[in-house]
Amino acid sequence: MSQLSMSAPTPGAEPIADLSKAPLPTARTLRVRRNVALQFFRFLSFNSRIMRMVVKGHK
Amino acid sequence: MAEVLVLGAGVSGHTAALHLRRLLGRQHTVTVVSPNANWNWIPSNIWVGVGDMGKKDVVFPLAPIYARKGIGFRQAKAVAIRPSGDDEDAKGAVDIEYTEPSRAGQSERLRYDYLINATGPKLRFEATEGMGPDGFTASVCTADHAVEANEKLRETIAKLKAGQPQTLVVGMGHGTCTCEGAAFEYTFNVDHLLRAEGVRDLARLVYLTNEAALGDFGVDGMVFDQSGFQTTSELWTGSLFRERDVEAILGAHVTKVTATEIHYELLDGSLHTIAHDFAMLIPPFGGQPLKAYDAEGNDITGELFAPSGFMKVDANYTAKPYEEWTADDWPKTYAAVGYDNVWAVGIAFAPPHQISRPRKSPNGTMIAPAPPRTGMPSGVMGKTVAMTIADRIKNGPSAPSRTASMARMGAACVASAGTGLTKGSAAAMTMLPVVPDYQRYPTGRDVRETRGEIGLHGHWVKLMLHYLFIYKAKARLGWQLIPE
Ligand SMILES: Cc1cc2nc3c(=O)[nH]c(=O)nc-3n(C[C@H](O)[C@H](O)[C@H](O)COP(=O)(O)OP(=O)(O)OC[C@H]3O[C@@H](n4cnc5c(N)ncnc54)[C@H](O)[C@@H]3O)c2cc1C
Repeated sequence: MSQLSMSAPTPGAEPIADLSKAPLPTARTLRVRRNVALQFFRFLSFNSRIMRMVVKGHK
Repeated sequence: MAEVLVLGAGVSGHTAALHLRRLLGRQHTVTVVSPNANWNWIPSNIWVGVGDMGKKDVVFPLAPIYARKGIGFRQAKAVAIRPSGDDEDAKGAVDIEYTEPSRAGQSERLRYDYLINATGPKLRFEATEGMGPDGFTASVCTADHAVEANEKLRETIAKLKAGQPQTLVVGMGHGTCTCEGAAFEYTFNVDHLLRAEGVRDLARLVYLTNEAALGDFGVDGMVFDQSGFQTTSELWTGSLFRERDVEAILGAHVTKVTATEIHYELLDGSLHTIAHDFAMLIPPFGGQPLKAYDAEGNDITGELFAPSGFMKVDANYTAKPYEEWTADDWPKTYAAVGYDNVWAVGIAFAPPHQISRPRKSPNGTMIAPAPPRTGMPSGVMGKTVAMTIADRIKNGPSAPSRTASMARMGAACVASAGTGLTKGSAAAMTMLPVVPDYQRYPTGRDVRETRGEIGLHGHWVKLMLHYLFIYKAKARLGWQLIPE
């Protein structure tokens, strides 16, 4: 079931998806996404997840 | 002595050939047939398409690598498979036509003991009138296409800089396309570039897709565990669209493209048109047009290949409704139907059905993403079949097949959203397994490993994968230690 619906197009208008219910990131989230030190830890964590998947799923 | 023939030198075929060479003694031959002289790291074509990389950064010539490794190479395209040989020899054979300029037009029949079909997708631009580099839309599916896409994009940016508002449409050029991730990535790289050029305010950027919901990606979407709550890839993706002010048109089947307009039908059957100044649309994929013949020369193409052109393997092709699909429908060994010395890997194998719920408009138009076969699973399939063949050659024909089902293996999808070592960003997703298995996991996938994150680190991962996979594909020291 879709959470973000296509808005019913009013005649003549384009059927653009209604994204007004999509959560906007907070200012803090945006800062975290750009913070080099914090992102370095995310980088290590993402790589270890890939490696776990290789071990778990590639058998 | 055994002769192994690999058709295709992309992610799956090249991986298979390198592993075969590593696993087999020199008394056995490994030969690769591929029409292109170059290897291409396709995921980085996205960056070529926005001018952040040149063609030379994403391709390299195959011949020197194969010469160094002792792998035979024919720059040619396979045109027909003769799995039971011909009237001269019962050994299987493949007819090839050379594309190498010095031998262009010449043909040859190559014999094999073991055959891997890794010929990837045929880009079916012809499925939609006016689509493709010969029509009115750009593409990033090959490095050359991506170079052209960047040139067209730069023309659009020049117009924006001159104060002319422009509409840029990026997405899927047909209701049955796959590879939504690539269009998604290109969308956000274009957004990033428009911002960097200071012209985003005059540009309207629209993502036009066959997905019924954002975040579907042809894998029926994903459920993530975020701070102890289940959330969906739809909300997560929608958040990025909203933040970056990218509009989305969902559940669309493009019917026709002209120099100024894209015509499309929606899942509710309504027909629409959007004006465009720049469009990059991914075409639907089909199998390469290979024929198959029996020893008497009778056409048996329909026995080996599905109507889509993909090769039939050990999948369950019984037609059944979405509710009855199971993980077991998906192939495990990739052995071709009826021939235990032929396999199809990567995009070349025929999937049993979609992964996303297939939908039709009231007009009967199929608007259903085809299942993606991304880099990681394609590489794993190539390696798995290489190991099966090596086992057979070393231990005899009864050696059991190795297995690698997409309903067991995971995939990482790192969708770049802009480049720059400190300014870049990417939506990085991992999923395990690729094909949801509702018997094993309530949400279809392992929520500990199925995650989506956005941030600078995603860009670093994508860049790392670029260098790592090119290093691996060049078969440099220790290449085999880099996972597929
Ligand atoms: C723009 C784009 C971006 C992508 N980004 C990502 C990403 O970020 N991450 C990811 O995991 N995946 C990504 N993918 C998907 C990834 O590229 C594919 O999963 C992968 O290339 C599939 O490997 P393959 O070996 O099946 O096919 P390919 O890599 O396409 O290789 C097919 C090979 O067969 C050769 N061939 C064609 N016809 C013949 C013939 N008749 N005879 C012999 N050889 C033939 C071709 O020349 C080629 O060498 C992307 C795809 C695209 C188009």
